[in-house]
Amino acid sequence: MAYSDKVLDHYTHPRNVGTLDKSSTDVGTGLVGAPECGDVMRLQIKVNPATQVIEDAKFKTFGCGSAIASSSLATEWIKGKKVAEALAIRNTDIVKELALPPVKIHCSVLAEDAIRAAIGDWKKKHGAEAPVENTAEVKA
Amino acid sequence: MATETHPETATACWSCGQGAESAHFCASCRKVQPAVPMDFFRFFGLERKLNLDLAALEKEFYRLSRKLHPDLYARASSEEQGWSLVKSSQLNDAYRALKDPVARTQYLLELEGVKLEEQSSAATLAARESGAEKKQVVPPELLEEVFELNMQLQELRMGKQMGEEDPEVITGLRAAKSKFEAMLEGITGELKILWNAWDAALDSEERTGVRDRLVALLNRRSYVRNLVRDVNDALEA
Ligand code: FES
Ligand SMILES: [Zn+2]
Repeated sequence: MAYSDKVLDHYTHPRNVGTLDKSSTDVGTGLVGAPECGDVMRLQIKVNPATQVIEDAKFKTFGCGSAIASSSLATEWIKGKKVAEALAIRNTDIVKELALPPVKIHCSVLAEDAIRAAIGDWKKKHGAEAPVENTAEVKA
Repeated sequence: MATETHPETATACWSCGQGAESAHFCASCRKVQPAVPMDFFRFFGLERKLNLDLAALEKEFYRLSRKLHPDLYARASSEEQGWSLVKSSQLNDAYRALKDPVARTQYLLELEGVKLEEQSSAATLAARESGAEKKQVVPPELLEEVFELNMQLQELRMGKQMGEEDPEVITGLRAAKSKFEAMLEGITGELKILWNAWDAALDSEERTGVRDRLVALLNRRSYVRNLVRDVNDALEA
């Protein structure tokens, strides 16, 4: 499969590969998988509790080039964003930016799922005490 | 399986006009019948059941292969030649899908309107709408295990690249290999249980319940199968 230049760039120089301290209250961890191919992706965020800004993001992906590129791009994008802004990222944004072909769309979905899972985990840790802006989202 | 008759679809033979007709051949004049699209179970004259007699299926496959062989129709009308060709290829597809337990299950789920690949994207849509975390189609513990094992595999590969092998990593992977192989076997066992439940289900409500459990099981299976493959590759490399 021919990868786009942007995919290749992220694939050969992935940004933000690594691990954050899972047990820290400021860290949210999302672990997601794509059953179609069995690939897994872990994305972690470190949120400033006062500002709700994502100050750091790391990922580790075992999967295809597109999944690695998608998660690498996702971490780049969410760094510096507020939690609520990060939630607005859609896999279609990733598809566009990386010029992913149709068969690789599920790889970008994985990245979107991972962002939401990481944020969900972080929210869970904070329960009701976190001043979450988009209150409609925390029914649970 | 011995009978090819489908009373519910019996129509007159195109050639002799007799009513008695099987899905593939006329019972009176034995001519090959028009190739119409039909599901693989019906192609073999089977009910939509998951337990099936593999020996009988194989026998029927060879019998139909012989009877539909295009060489037999070299002198027949061009319609018949065409039908025998189409039916031969339908036969091969149907046999391939039905003889393998997992492919058969997947095929049946498709007939029931479930595409495994769409499960995950449907869950993403639901998560987007509710703003909540996506419900993964497999249990989180399994994802953890998959992730951990991939870490180990990476360590092993990196070690090998540098020309050294950490015996501890190898031991760990061997243990993982037997663990996941056992898991795969367990899943095969569960699959049989669900087959029985499917075949015994009385109404569509019951069938929907079993169907959903089959979907969950096959999703789990696909991770475990990949792991077994990757561990074996890594150990053999
Ligand atoms: S092929 Fe599985 S994530 Fe890309
Ligand atoms: Zn006839």
